[in-house]
Amino acid sequence: MRHDGTSETVPGRPTALRLRDVSADFGDEAGLRDVSFDVANAERFVIVGPSGAGKTTLLRAIAGLIPVTRGTVEIAGHDRTHLVPERRDAVYLHQTPLLFPHLDVFENVAFPLRVRGVAAAEIRSRVASVLDSVQLGAFATRPPHALSGGQRHRVALARAIVARPAVLLLDEPLSSLDPSLRVDVREVILGAAREYRLALVIVTHDLDDAALMGDRIGVLLEGRLKQVATPATLFAHPASLSIARLLAIPNEVRGVIEGERAFSSPLNEMPLISNSQNGSAIMVFRPDAVQIMPESADTAQCTGEIVEIRHRPQQTTVRVRVATRLGTIMIEAAIDAMSVPAIGTIVGLSIDARRVSVFADS
Amino acid sequence: MDAAACGALRPVNSRAKSRFADVDAVARYFGLTALTISAIGPLVLLVLWSASGEWFFPALMPQRWSPDGWGWLFQSGDRVAVAVRNSVLLGIADGFIGCAIAFPIGRAISRLTGWRRYMAAAAVFSPVAAPPIALGIGIQYFLLRIGVGGTAVGVLLAHLVPTVGYLSLYFLSVFVVFDSKIEDEARTLGATSRQVLFYVTLPMMRRQVTEAVAIGFLISWAQYALTLTVGGGTVHTLPLEVFSYMRAGSGNFAASAALVMIVPPILALAAARYAAGRTVVSPV
Repeated sequence: MRHDGTSETVPGRPTALRLRDVSADFGDEAGLRDVSFDVANAERFVIVGPSGAGKTTLLRAIAGLIPVTRGTVEIAGHDRTHLVPERRDAVYLHQTPLLFPHLDVFENVAFPLRVRGVAAAEIRSRVASVLDSVQLGAFATRPPHALSGGQRHRVALARAIVARPAVLLLDEPLSSLDPSLRVDVREVILGAAREYRLALVIVTHDLDDAALMGDRIGVLLEGRLKQVATPATLFAHPASLSIARLLAIPNEVRGVIEGERAFSSPLNEMPLISNSQNGSAIMVFRPDAVQIMPESADTAQCTGEIVEIRHRPQQTTVRVRVATRLGTIMIEAAIDAMSVPAIGTIVGLSIDARRVSVFADS
Repeated sequence: MDAAACGALRPVNSRAKSRFADVDAVARYFGLTALTISAIGPLVLLVLWSASGEWFFPALMPQRWSPDGWGWLFQSGDRVAVAVRNSVLLGIADGFIGCAIAFPIGRAISRLTGWRRYMAAAAVFSPVAAPPIALGIGIQYFLLRIGVGGTAVGVLLAHLVPTVGYLSLYFLSVFVVFDSKIEDEARTLGATSRQVLFYVTLPMMRRQVTEAVAIGFLISWAQYALTLTVGGGTVHTLPLEVFSYMRAGSGNFAASAALVMIVPPILALAAARYAAGRTVVSPV
């Protein structure tokens, strides 16, 4: 596993969660294999991975809802590997808010305190405080079915916060929400995490959510944690081709590593230092690593024809067909949405070598 | 197709739809009428019979009216009172105990998958599928061996056999649609499994549990063969009284006793509905 020097928690901050070589089964199938990572107090750690990678299994194993077959789970400095869920100090929130239908908002939020036998006066003050922090102070007497989807998420979050867990486990917390509510609930989660200095482990398959919510991101593939890095490092330098593909990095150019382990590709002369062995390789880079310029520019490494324009909420890109001596390659490049060249325009391309990753083509 | 043609087609389609709607309405009214007659008709007959002094074929109505059919309520003294009391106590005990046993069984079966679930469901239902007399003889043999044959406890244990079978299947159907993820979340919020049961699961299933208790009551209330076989005639219940009147040819006595038998089940179901209030199986 490549950690990019970020597998350890923030120096000086106590560790809220420490997993060492954790394995767990999911049904009859192998779920997790030798997963290790640390999460510091007040840190937000995001797990991304495709469906079936074991993300939910990981959270359930931490929460004690499924048994760990190997390894240790330490929470707040104590080994909790074999403890029942209620003694783990880790609250697990499902992707849809599961509120108790027979209790009103106040009693839902008070639930963790009541089962711990907290005094009534303390319950009143703590619940009121937490409800205010998620802007639901005026909804205390409402039944859950009278709340909107976003409000239910807030109540579920408030109920988790009031328990003051050492670590809060969020399973796809935004996946059931429409885009406007996603922003709202995401800000509530981040605000609560800051206010209460929560250690969060968030599972998501949405890369935008991962980048916006995570101090660090772990990539889970086939039950194994393949890379742990900050969002900037992960997106710029994925540790493997499979991670690059998971991150939906669109540009892949095949070439050869030869000689001084320099990568040569059909895109004219483009020597790149690679850590891989000599042989066939694939160069991967994001659209924002490509600069579009006039075809006559001196710095253009190659030229091509714009064949498609792709508008997305966060970014506009063009697809450029580049004719090389070995055939045609499609390159996707980011552009300014306000000055989009016409389809058919011939442009020059320059690729920032610092933002390119090269992997052996296995 | 021009506008005129469209206009010409429209009334034809409307007429066809209307004809189907008429047939549908007639069938619906016919069905409802048949259902009402089949439900209320026997009750009306029982009321007439219980109030008759003389009613012979082919007379449509009793030839003589008499309150004698209801006299047993006041004349039989302890015998009927004991039968009613036994039936009520056995029904209540059967409802609650059967529910307490069937609840975890239904839940356990719901967690099985594939053929295991079918086999387990068939196993719990097999006592119900057996003929009551055969079941009664088998149970009696066992209860005699453990020393409770011919006692109220023995009758209660016998009643529990079909009750647990029915209620286990009832709770199986409830737990199949129950979202147990809310229990998982409650555990991570700090609740023990016992607290989850009493503060989350049972309150969420209040309606289903009260209905199950009422069903258990009804199963016990209507038992004749098991009570007679296991009780050996020493444990008197209302169904036994009704049959004894019928055997004695006291039709009006049997009719009035049968009418009395209908009241507690209706009250039990009404109470279950009232007590349940608004409950849901799935979390909000």
